[in-house]
Amino acid sequence: MTSAASDEELVEGTLGGDEHAFTQLFDRYRNPVYSTVYRIIQNTEEAQDATQEIFIKLYRSLSVWKREKAKFSTWLYRLAANHAIDCWRARRRRAESQISGETGDGDFVESPLGEAIRSPYQEVAGREEVDEIRRCVDFLPELQKRVFVLRYFNELKLEEIADLEECSLGTVKTSLFRATQTIRKALRRYRGAR
Amino acid sequence: MRRPEDRHYSEEEVLLFVMGDAAAETGAEMSAHLEKCRECRSVWEEYSALVKSIGRWKIPSPSEESWQGRKATLLAQFREDRDWVKRKGVFWYLRWSVVKTWDYAMENPLPTMGYVAAALAFASERTITVFRLDWILPATGEVIKILRQVL
Repeated sequence: MTSAASDEELVEGTLGGDEHAFTQLFDRYRNPVYSTVYRIIQNTEEAQDATQEIFIKLYRSLSVWKREKAKFSTWLYRLAANHAIDCWRARRRRAESQISGETGDGDFVESPLGEAIRSPYQEVAGREEVDEIRRCVDFLPELQKRVFVLRYFNELKLEEIADLEECSLGTVKTSLFRATQTIRKALRRYRGAR
Repeated sequence: MRRPEDRHYSEEEVLLFVMGDAAAETGAEMSAHLEKCRECRSVWEEYSALVKSIGRWKIPSPSEESWQGRKATLLAQFREDRDWVKRKGVFWYLRWSVVKTWDYAMENPLPTMGYVAAALAFASERTITVFRLDWILPATGEVIKILRQVL
């Protein structure tokens, strides 16, 4: 199979047990999947683990993908966002139980994803603002978080997101707006406090 | 149709415009409106800056070596799963085909009912001579009569 094989051909190959087709799918999509996952989980190591798990899930559920319903990439990003949300949820639960066990009343409680938030972004202009954005995204409700990441970073169309989320276009628009509003407000507060 | 000067645009509409998600017609109207309306233009400028800030969120890329390690692990898992499928045997495939048929029936109830009706009609007429369906299930005879009329 050539390197210019279409997604459909690679999927067919993978379903037929062709490991070269599968590794090509991995090479083609590892970065976009990782970046989707990272923006939800916000931890390098866990995002890589999750990316690996997503590709395992991918080939186990490839037969479910219906090409007439969604593009392969769109379907994969949705799979990635869902898995990332599951990981993020599990991580948050772990972090919360740790925090409730370790801190007393009135103690300052840092974000459960503190490690991710502290990690360096020196090369980015306005990195403090970016940190603020990351902090906000971490606390967005799940649907808003998925819509936000899929629209801003995977650049899916709103209609595609609505199809994947099985909700109305209006719900997607509202979720995107609310997520952006939350970030806008947080940035305003942040700039005001400086 | 709304004239551009009728009212200010909502922030949601402005955001969709900034993101390129507004309908072409609305986008043209809004461009015209923004030329004239300072208030909406300032909202547009704020959202444009915000979308740019969000776009600055870059992520740390894992090393190529790390990806290669992950790929090797994945490949090992892939081979294991693939070989396991080969070892599954006839009962697994039997179960799998029942599940797939059921899925098809749930997704396409009308054609399925047609197939079942045709199969019943065929079975009652020719195939099952010793154990005719209308002998086994009394009501089946009535069903078959109706099906004959319909078909």
